[in-house]
Amino acid sequence: MSFVFLTTDILLFLLIAILLVYGIYALRHEHLFRPWKQVVSRPFSMCAVVVLSFYFLIAILDSVHFHPTIESSSGNDVQHSTRITSVLDLVLGSIIAGTEKTYSAPFSIYAFAKETLVDEDGYMVREYPRLKHAGSHLSEPASRLDDILNRSVVGVGKGLIGWIFFCAIIIFMMSRIQKLAIRGIVKKIIRGQSSLSWRTFFLSFGIIFVLVGIGLQLCPHYHVLGTDQVGNDILYQSLKSARTGLIIGTLTTLVMLPFAVIFGVSAGYFGGWVDDSIQYMYTTLSSIPSVLLIAASALMLDVYLANHSEMFVSVTARADLRLLCLCLILGVTTWTGLCRYLRAETLKLRESAYIDASRAFGAVPWTTIWKHVVPNVMHIVTISIVLDFSGLVLAEAALSYLNIGVDPSMESWGNMINGARLELAREPVVWWSLFAAFIFMFVLVLAANIFADAVRDAFDPRLRELN
Amino acid sequence: MLKPLLDVKNLSVRFGQGDGSFLALDGFELTVAKGETVVLVGESGSGKSISALSISRLLPSTALIESGSIEFAGSDLLGLSEKAMRNIRGAGIGMVFQEPQSSLNPVMTIGSQIGESLKRHHGLYGKALLERIEELLVLVGISNPKHRCHQYPHEFSGGMKQRVMIAIALAGDPELLIADEPTTALDVTIQAQVLSLMKTIQTNRNMGMVFITHDLAVAYQVADRIIVMKEGKIIEAADREDFYRTPSHEYTQKLFDSIPSWEKRLSENPSADHPAAEKALNVKNLSVSFLGKTSLFSRRSNAMVAVNNVDLELQEGRTLALVGESGSGKTTMAKAILQLIKPSHGSVYYRGDNLCDISGRQLRRYRGDLQMVFQDPYSSMNPRMLVGAIIKEGMIAQNIGIDKSERDDRVRRLLLQVGLDPSYALRYPHEFSGGQRQRICIARALAVEPKVLICDEPTSALDVSVQSQILHLLRDLQEELGLTYLFVTHNIGVVAYLAHQVAVMHQGKIVEYGSVDDVLHRPQHVYTRALLNAVPKIGMSL
Repeated sequence: MSFVFLTTDILLFLLIAILLVYGIYALRHEHLFRPWKQVVSRPFSMCAVVVLSFYFLIAILDSVHFHPTIESSSGNDVQHSTRITSVLDLVLGSIIAGTEKTYSAPFSIYAFAKETLVDEDGYMVREYPRLKHAGSHLSEPASRLDDILNRSVVGVGKGLIGWIFFCAIIIFMMSRIQKLAIRGIVKKIIRGQSSLSWRTFFLSFGIIFVLVGIGLQLCPHYHVLGTDQVGNDILYQSLKSARTGLIIGTLTTLVMLPFAVIFGVSAGYFGGWVDDSIQYMYTTLSSIPSVLLIAASALMLDVYLANHSEMFVSVTARADLRLLCLCLILGVTTWTGLCRYLRAETLKLRESAYIDASRAFGAVPWTTIWKHVVPNVMHIVTISIVLDFSGLVLAEAALSYLNIGVDPSMESWGNMINGARLELAREPVVWWSLFAAFIFMFVLVLAANIFADAVRDAFDPRLRELN
Repeated sequence: MLKPLLDVKNLSVRFGQGDGSFLALDGFELTVAKGETVVLVGESGSGKSISALSISRLLPSTALIESGSIEFAGSDLLGLSEKAMRNIRGAGIGMVFQEPQSSLNPVMTIGSQIGESLKRHHGLYGKALLERIEELLVLVGISNPKHRCHQYPHEFSGGMKQRVMIAIALAGDPELLIADEPTTALDVTIQAQVLSLMKTIQTNRNMGMVFITHDLAVAYQVADRIIVMKEGKIIEAADREDFYRTPSHEYTQKLFDSIPSWEKRLSENPSADHPAAEKALNVKNLSVSFLGKTSLFSRRSNAMVAVNNVDLELQEGRTLALVGESGSGKTTMAKAILQLIKPSHGSVYYRGDNLCDISGRQLRRYRGDLQMVFQDPYSSMNPRMLVGAIIKEGMIAQNIGIDKSERDDRVRRLLLQVGLDPSYALRYPHEFSGGQRQRICIARALAVEPKVLICDEPTSALDVSVQSQILHLLRDLQEELGLTYLFVTHNIGVVAYLAHQVAVMHQGKIVEYGSVDDVLHRPQHVYTRALLNAVPKIGMSL
């Protein structure tokens, strides 16, 4: 195995490192710690946090890439495949049932399209063939439902056992850290009296554990969400798409932040010609339809990639560069909104007496900005990052539908929807890839929105005064 | 005796629930007869506004009336439905609030805002409505009502807006008027006009009035009876004459003693003679004008002159008070001296250098010598920095102290010097009261060893007892460190108590300049005389 670091992998890990550093910093600063505590003390947002971390876990697993080793027949020298796979592929590869020929419905053991087969008596018949992998362990097709039910019950049981172990470990750790009796902690959690909403935490994990348990039991033998045109498992694709969605939602913000913060704060603080030029820049930029800008940039990128195909060792690397460029393009076109907010807030802050005091001490402008302005606009930045996240995930789907989004070879919800679009006209309808993309995206965006609401409530100073 | 118009018995109001709750009003009693004015006096947090809000049942949702009864004109207000209460508000009880700026809707004309209440309570419309609105405007002393009632709030000055608020309160012909600090946001000359207007209307209509204020002198001018409140409880209640002759309670006595005045200064420090000292700072022909918005492509020049050719001289170790009403350019002038605002022309001489001409680097050297204490202690510190870091900021910028431990040491000494505990360095500003914050701000300014301290209304946001502590502190620091003060204020009492010299500012110009004794006791300029006459004094009726 030799590890490969794609650009977006590095950036994603960098982002996680930044988050960790911020977390440690926030733990030590009460004015940052308190609002975050308030966020996870609400049941709904705790649930959202758990769901988001589950998605992030998938994305992180999918971001550790490597060239798998090929078993070489000659001698001991290790050879690596040119194909790039991730840890998630490795994990799912052993769980998910193999590739079929073409479409098949969820839980079906027959293909979606009729084929010409030779029956026992040697006649040619048009028949729905059995799938190669799904349900191949069944000798009697009629026992399918019983089999699914049996396996689900076993899955629920296994999930619950895993969950109980998980709860036990966490509660044991809590009792060690807080130095309280386990029984007291359990009682508090069950009654919902703990300061953070631990009850929701454990319940959400319970649901995730049960779902994973069922999945582990069923996936090797059935295509739970069906297969697509070339017979790939839809569940696998949906899980792989999580990384694409999260990367777009987070890296775009990372690209956009420096523009928004530096331009917004300096426009507000310095005023005069600095303010004028920055304002002209963002009014111009925001008056061009963003789809037009993105389409133009995506086409330019396509031409570049086609002319420089020798630069990329694999399709994956090329798709990754395209994803990164999409983030850059989205980032460059979306910073204007936050920039406006920050400019307005800085204009207000500039008049406050502590800025005057700092100037009266003879501090240089950038020191004043760094020490007094930036920390006091950070709540706006935090709020807009989480609010923008869900919008960007949805934007990816829309752009891929227009064929100007991520590379067609990369799994993404937008590509899934795009691929399913024509099949909606079929009879019977092929609904499952659309459905799967919708469910996975819906859960992520809903969780992100609930989380964003809680963050806004906790950080917005006006709402805080009311409490 | 006649049944009183308003009768509040044993009223208790609690805010919040559980451990964090507190009693904002505890056993509050109040009776108001027709034609009588009862003044509630107290410092911030004493519950005086809460009592007014509970009478009109406008308490915030977090407040709960625990016990008591409120009887108004024969009906029990606490037992009424919200619908019945709406008829009482306006028609029975009129209210006037502190901030005339935020009490009026900016997108409705003055006339239609007064008309709302008339339509609601008297069912007037059309021509009759218009006539009544004009009558009310005349009543509150607004001339040319036919024209004025079609104008919007931004076309009215602060005092005019408060007159409009009074007109709205009177529109429903209330029997009781509740006025919550109606003149606190106004200048003294306007305050005097509004007070006498309210008093006249009240006498003519034989209304009852509940008047809330923190100013004992204002209370004297309007009151028939006075109630002193502290922490939700009634401390003392008495008729006006008895109250001002012999305040019985210790707390009331302390309130009286806290009021800064010439007499207080003489009693504390009888030698009122101060020989002229060395010049510390010299301001010559200073003007500041604000241009209209300029941009890359257009340069409009409708300039507003805020400070107009001002000459001042600060003497070392002395206090120069800069007195004026809002909008007179005092704060602009203070900031222009510090070069926080660039003056349009003129010069500020300090140690032979003209601060307006020297380079940025040279100016940075003098920054440590000239410091400022700001008006609002709540917004003058970065809420996200520890107190220690706030005080250290100037030392770092001015390179005072060699290393961190020396600076920390100095922070501790400074906190002690301004009368605070050194351990406060590790707390955030929001944990402190207004007075404590102002002490921290003074410590922050002192950290860079200034020679000249510009104090911009440092006590106007504080209660009178806290104000007197801060004034004491400032005077002690002056004696100890030989500081020179430029003290910007609108409070004549503070001037009399603290200043050596006074400059009176009016519309950007200095109209009178001299020693404190001369200016306060033998004013020459018409404006100074008007200003001094308008200041409410105990023992002087309207």
